[in-house]
Amino acid sequence: MTKGWLRTIAVGAGLTLVAGACGGRDADDEAATDDGGDTATTAGGEGGGEGGGELEPVAGFDGTTIRLGALTPTSGRVAVIGNPLTAGNQAYFDYVNEELGGIAGQYPIELVVRDTAYAEPTAVQEYNATKDDVVMYAQILGTPIVNALVGQLTTDGVVAAPASLDSFWVREQSLLPVGGPYQIQAINALDYWVTDGGGEGDVICSLIQDDPYGEAGQEGLDFAAEELDIELGPAVTFPTGNPDFTTQISQLEGAGCEMVLLVSTPADTGAALGKAAEVGFAPQWIGQSPSWIGLLALSPLAPYLEENFLLASEGPDYGDESVPGMAELIRIQETYSEQPPDTYFNFGYLQAVAVTQVLEAAVANGDLSHEGIIEAMNGIEVFEYDGLSGDYEWGPPEDRNPPRTSTIFRVNPAAPTGLEAVEVDIESDAALAFEFEE
Amino acid sequence: MASTTVPSRQHGSSAPSRRRRQAGRPHRNLALDHARDLRILRSPLAKAGAVLLALVYLAAPANLTDVTLFALAYAGVYAIGAIGLNLLIGFTGQVSLGHATFFGVGAYSAAYFGVQRELPLLAYLAIATGLGLLLGLVIGPFALRLRGQYLAVVTIGLVFLGGHIFSNWESVTGGGSGAPVAGADLSVGPLDFGELELGGQIYTREQSLFWLVWALVALTALVAKNITRTRPGRAMQAVRDRDLSAEVIGVQLARYKVGAFAVAGAMAALAGALYGILQGFVNADEFGGSVGLFLSITFVAMIIVGGVGTVFGSILGAVLVEYGDTFIRENNDLALLDPIIIASAGDSGVVSSGEFNGIVFGLLIVGFLLVEPRGLAALWLRLKAYFTSWPFSY
Amino acid sequence: MTGRAVNTATLAAIDGNDVLETFVSGIAVGCKYALVALGFVIIFKATGVINFAQASFVLVGAYLTYNVSQTWGANFYVALLAAMAAGFVLGVVLEELLLRRLIGEAPFTMIMLTIGILYVIDNVVTAVWGPDNLNLGDPWGIRTVEGGGLTVAVRDLWTMGLTAAVLAAFFLFFRYSKLGLAMRATALDQEVALAQGISARSVFMVSWGIAGAVAALAGATLAAGNVALQPGVGLIALIAFPAMILGGLESPLGAVVGGLIIGLVQQFTSLLAPEYFDWVGPSFEQVSPYLVMVVILLVRPYGLFGTKEVRRV
Repeated sequence: MTKGWLRTIAVGAGLTLVAGACGGRDADDEAATDDGGDTATTAGGEGGGEGGGELEPVAGFDGTTIRLGALTPTSGRVAVIGNPLTAGNQAYFDYVNEELGGIAGQYPIELVVRDTAYAEPTAVQEYNATKDDVVMYAQILGTPIVNALVGQLTTDGVVAAPASLDSFWVREQSLLPVGGPYQIQAINALDYWVTDGGGEGDVICSLIQDDPYGEAGQEGLDFAAEELDIELGPAVTFPTGNPDFTTQISQLEGAGCEMVLLVSTPADTGAALGKAAEVGFAPQWIGQSPSWIGLLALSPLAPYLEENFLLASEGPDYGDESVPGMAELIRIQETYSEQPPDTYFNFGYLQAVAVTQVLEAAVANGDLSHEGIIEAMNGIEVFEYDGLSGDYEWGPPEDRNPPRTSTIFRVNPAAPTGLEAVEVDIESDAALAFEFEE
Repeated sequence: MASTTVPSRQHGSSAPSRRRRQAGRPHRNLALDHARDLRILRSPLAKAGAVLLALVYLAAPANLTDVTLFALAYAGVYAIGAIGLNLLIGFTGQVSLGHATFFGVGAYSAAYFGVQRELPLLAYLAIATGLGLLLGLVIGPFALRLRGQYLAVVTIGLVFLGGHIFSNWESVTGGGSGAPVAGADLSVGPLDFGELELGGQIYTREQSLFWLVWALVALTALVAKNITRTRPGRAMQAVRDRDLSAEVIGVQLARYKVGAFAVAGAMAALAGALYGILQGFVNADEFGGSVGLFLSITFVAMIIVGGVGTVFGSILGAVLVEYGDTFIRENNDLALLDPIIIASAGDSGVVSSGEFNGIVFGLLIVGFLLVEPRGLAALWLRLKAYFTSWPFSY
Repeated sequence: MTGRAVNTATLAAIDGNDVLETFVSGIAVGCKYALVALGFVIIFKATGVINFAQASFVLVGAYLTYNVSQTWGANFYVALLAAMAAGFVLGVVLEELLLRRLIGEAPFTMIMLTIGILYVIDNVVTAVWGPDNLNLGDPWGIRTVEGGGLTVAVRDLWTMGLTAAVLAAFFLFFRYSKLGLAMRATALDQEVALAQGISARSVFMVSWGIAGAVAALAGATLAAGNVALQPGVGLIALIAFPAMILGGLESPLGAVVGGLIIGLVQQFTSLLAPEYFDWVGPSFEQVSPYLVMVVILLVRPYGLFGTKEVRRV
């Protein structure tokens, strides 16, 4: 008896499955989608021009609206990064929809934002809940989150733009990174300091966060030191949220450090440099882009920062309208967003620019399916950002080459983001020599 | 430890219905001897219920979306961990906030033995379970020296130590970057739970994993039920209610306290290994530090919501807490939730969905403690009593 | 990505001055933990509950101080007092509304109730004030005081002074005030205290209130500094756990001694580990307080100043 109904259930299960099959769940179905995709490709190629005729509806595209995903923390501590970044995504897509009529002038974009709360299990579930409902992901925020998802993205053949400057993403076929990785920032920082910065012969040290982000900065510093034939001083580590930096600062001070690469996040920047200021330790600090937040320029530490702190980041001065990309960014930000000036907004904006370029190519090919997106993306030769970030040479994973440029900023409380550029788009030989491995 | 009102006697003798259908013949629920009293399914109704559950188990994958199945698979994973924790807290009265570490040990076992050593599914699940058991045997003796809230705080220390080891033992755990679990073997004999093929029909990963996880939930529940309804279970409850008294009547405290830690640890590690499989990738910060502590707290919350001291309640609690969370995230555009939750930039609302979930989670804990401290399981018992004794009110 | 970055070979040898500086920083950090732990202790002393929601009281106190001083423009110290008053009210209200109803339940039940409260308050706080890092606007800034070859931050001096003041106030309160006596009596034996005509109700209420007020003070000292106010501020309570339990759950003096021990252990681990026991891995100072706690508890299961529970069958 037991066996009998077991079989009934199993058969019943099968039937329901076939009836409800969707989005490549079933072998036949998948083949059908593929065929459709191929035909559309040819049609699109021949038709050319505006939109290339009617596009096949695929996962995340109902024939008119293109749905994009964003897996980002909108709650918890990292929402401080997630919120402005998503606002950057959204503002650019709003601009595409309003002023350009959507992708290829006819397909508007919808951004589906899901809150990961910066927790891996939530992110994995949200990914699985949305992957068949979006064409690609315009944003997945955070190194640990991308790490948790990259395997599945590759298996599923879905493309995502990671919001994190790690170097591991460069050669992943399913990722669309933006900007120069942390290593590049660190290399250019050191190169700048010992050449134009006037720090030749200084004792160079580092104060790094005890995690992969910290290690990435240190890797860049080590590489640059070898290229430039410099012997480095100590690298001192600290845990995030460190309650007191006395021992770290005294280790740096004891070693006679004259320039310190700081790989941290804003709260730790404030605590570490606060301690340094208190004990009167004043080397040249050079921070990596995530170590900054505009409010630091309005904190009691501001005078010390103006004197002793530089930041290695990317792009021109915020508001420098002589750079065409910046003028456009500011116009779009003011028109479509209530977000005040924020470097993470810019990052989200750049992601949206790159994603839009991929979508345009995919529509021109006539295939918005997940495979079509990969094909379209691999066909792009270079991502250009109108001066907001260096050119990112593209193509299949092995040909990809991130920008090697960095900008050195100094603190200026009067500037919108608290920063003003000292030297824009430096591209050191050491940075050019750095190789991104598999 | 947990108050004495916990339903420690849920067996047949307490079944509320004492009516007689026919003169001279006892009611079908009346247990006449000890063996009958100890049966797992004590009434025809319970048997029918079990069959129904089995039917639901078999039919669910065909009738639910992959998203729901995946969320339920997570709920099943947490249910396994919660069953173990309930044995420790609900039955033995030893409060542990270190459950996340055992969970992490299981997850890393799946990563190391499943991926790096390429062992088959059953082998690495068994190793994970065994390692959890061993760790429980190591931690258990602390419960002999420390009591109540002191023990609870010391087990928090385990979470911090565990997190440190996870993020520094690079050869095994991948250090700060984490380790993949995807690629580990998922087959038992001819059944491949990465993509089941039954009778010519291919099932998705979500459908297959749902079946795998919930089969193990059933197995774990059965083991737990067998522990609690027999001699060890009675000894554990005696330890919980007053360990000194238990010792006086001849219960070996050391054996049962340490044993409970070991069993709870084994179940948590099994759950952790399955969690690793679902996630496909594990990272040290999921199990250590404050995130780890909050994971431990989530397990405790599950047994409170479900019912302290009941095996079935642990499962109910895990499903409510875990699936409830997913439900809110997936449905933040419902008429009821839309005005509250900010779904995207510029959306109206007061809180983000993560914040809303946190608030709901807190309110669930507070609400159950104040209104129904015996959890969902007690609600269920009350409902059952209402129907079995109908039309009488008691 | 392999291999740890710390290059011990180039670390300068640790000298006496380093040890002295580390000692002072350990005391300063320890005082922060002590302030948080004092809030735990007063509730435990009166009600026998470890209040996990103390972490969220700290957070609320810090944000209220910010709100009153930065958003409404009041003087910082006025804002601090206002936050303390609000913390007092918050504690009393929670006790009246929620905890009161579970009096007499197992400690585990009470702990979980406070955890439930923690989740609600923490998420409400980020919903109200957002996730941004903020400047608390404290008047201490990065000013320092020099003396005896040592440089001490004004902020740290305030933390130490406040901790000492709270400890002294607790001492005087428990010793001389009628309510303090009532609290001690209730802590000793609730039923006997009731029989003496002491209202356990008001004792519970006041102890939650005081815990809320002290938490606000702790919150302000923790969030003082440069962009230091953020939703993670309350997490420091997790490190205060060992502090509170080390000293013994019901002793205010124990909380302070425990806090100082933890602060010193943490800072000296951070100083010495890279040089002498590198193999423990970086950031071991996050683990060492717990190890010290376990060792002390194994020797003295009720902490350094705790009273041994009399157990009867």
